[in-house]
Amino acid sequence: MIELLAPAGNLDRLKIAYLYGADATYIGGYNYSLRANAINFSAEELKEAVEFAHSLNKKVYVTVNIVLHNSDLAGLKEYLLELESIGVDAVIVSDIAVINVIKNNNINLEVHVSTQASTLNYEAALFYKSLGAKRVVLAREATKDDIKIIKDKTGLDLECFIQGAMCTSFSGKCVLSNVATNRDSNRGGCAQICRWTFDINNENNVFSMTPKDLNMAVYLKQMMDIGVNSFKVEGRMRSVYYIATVIYEYRNLFDKIKSNTLTENDILYSNDVINRCANRESVPQFFDGQPTEKEQYYLGRDEVSNQDFLGIVLDSLEDKILIEERNYFKVGDEVEFFGPGIETFSYKIGEILDEKMECIEVARHPRMHVYLRHDKKLPKGTMMRLKVFDKKMYL
Amino acid sequence: MKKNNILLLVNNLDIVKDLKEESNITFLFPVSEFSVGFERTFRVEEIPEGFIFVNRILDNEGIEKFKKFIGALPSNIKGIVFDDVGVLNVLLKVNLNITKILFLNHLNCNYESVNAYLDFVDSVVVSTDITIEEIDEILKKAKKPVVLYTFGHINIMYSRRTLLTNYNNHFKKDVPTIADLTEKISGKKFKAQESIYGTVIYTNEPFNGLELRNRENVLFNLINMTFFTNEKMLEIIKSDSNLEDKYPYKYLSAEKTIVKISDIKD
Repeated sequence: MIELLAPAGNLDRLKIAYLYGADATYIGGYNYSLRANAINFSAEELKEAVEFAHSLNKKVYVTVNIVLHNSDLAGLKEYLLELESIGVDAVIVSDIAVINVIKNNNINLEVHVSTQASTLNYEAALFYKSLGAKRVVLAREATKDDIKIIKDKTGLDLECFIQGAMCTSFSGKCVLSNVATNRDSNRGGCAQICRWTFDINNENNVFSMTPKDLNMAVYLKQMMDIGVNSFKVEGRMRSVYYIATVIYEYRNLFDKIKSNTLTENDILYSNDVINRCANRESVPQFFDGQPTEKEQYYLGRDEVSNQDFLGIVLDSLEDKILIEERNYFKVGDEVEFFGPGIETFSYKIGEILDEKMECIEVARHPRMHVYLRHDKKLPKGTMMRLKVFDKKMYL
Repeated sequence: MKKNNILLLVNNLDIVKDLKEESNITFLFPVSEFSVGFERTFRVEEIPEGFIFVNRILDNEGIEKFKKFIGALPSNIKGIVFDDVGVLNVLLKVNLNITKILFLNHLNCNYESVNAYLDFVDSVVVSTDITIEEIDEILKKAKKPVVLYTFGHINIMYSRRTLLTNYNNHFKKDVPTIADLTEKISGKKFKAQESIYGTVIYTNEPFNGLELRNRENVLFNLINMTFFTNEKMLEIIKSDSNLEDKYPYKYLSAEKTIVKISDIKD
């Protein structure tokens, strides 16, 4: 089983993730989730998410991955029973208390051990297996050899991150946020102190410990070959555009690996698109060895946000498409469309019609509805972005 | 006043001689190859008698080495404090008559977790990241005596990356393997310690939890002498006072942490 696993901070993002090619999503419920400041899912939304996913024959995993304090224990059993009754496909946990409540109350929930547990050797994985875990999300520090050995010696489902922000620390082993801001990193309040800058030894230098993002596009095939089952994208706080872009690119790479048609240029193109969308550089980190200064940011990091995401297709009429605008665009702009089931294609905006079908020169108001001339149907949810990279140049 | 036994995480061998006559002190040695965050680690042959500290997150190569190491452990090693459930799984499979203490740094913040792990080990180090009230509730409900982190700088971040070396390489600098860090906006200070196994960041001030010395259901009070001289450590260990004037830092024990940004008060 090979699975592309997407983050989803709310229902819109979850639906987009499946639409763009995710096999499963991981989401936070209304409690016990490590992204306390994400919107997260109410009980009703959890039900809707599971029903929606199962209608597509896809899966939903719910994070119950905080480190619990005494006061968090009240209500835990009831919450887990609720997740069981909703029919979620698994819970992602880091605290043995959660595993014990599931086991001791015969709650029918599959357990995945969170990356917060920092599993880096097969004996640790076997320990979790003995507690009933079906899958382990390995530490992001795991090398290719580590992954292979853990797979060979445990037979567990293995989930590995392939894209997104990295903690500087072993996950779960950092409370810089608690100390610097009183915001609890292991209960979902991380203030990301590792992305701040420091003087070192009282010199006014810039000490930084910020890692570049993770990107495993170049190693996907190797990861499949050594037995990784689930390929996870980080980012429950990320936008629909980020999720659509990243999942779309990885789905394309997966499909090309499957059909044995993947080229180096496909990876180069996907990486350029992903990095532009994330506004960050991304590189493989620990998979092929110990990262160096080249896998970190120091001075000179440019994180300039862009307004590439121009709109989302709401409907296709006979000769027009209805777009919900997200960022300013105008007549004459070179854009491209990408979306579920379609090849990315370029488009020069010749005419913009407002809702009264009157021509306008500029779409300037976020969420305004406009029409563009196009005679082919585009699936609802197709995205329009500024054309930055020309795929033909990568052929 | 009743005083519990002390587990003293040491940074030199002279302190062992200095405190040899103190019957309530057990010495804990960060052991070479298997510990991080220490300027001085100890080969097992150097250790006179005491417990060993294994706080590295071990990869597969590390766990294989650990298996060999534990299989040849001499009889002067009376206990082990460790932070990797892989080590726990190894210990469950060998017949070793030593005290086994799990120190999952930053985990074990509640009594259910503590009790769950107490099914597998002799004791558990209660998390440092909770309030005194939360610690007291754990002490009431723990089914075996536990270990309380009572004094010393606290390991608040452990990275597999060699952050100081990387900094040196990038800027062509020569910062040593221990450094003081000051966050540029808040002015908060930290200490960093690097080895080939990674980088540990410690609190700049030592946590003072000496008030925890007289609690019930405690196997040991853990005192960490990293960054301390013998002279200062002897003063702390021998003092009946809680030394709050000299060491006022309460770390996270005095105030509950915040989870949601909306919970932040002005």
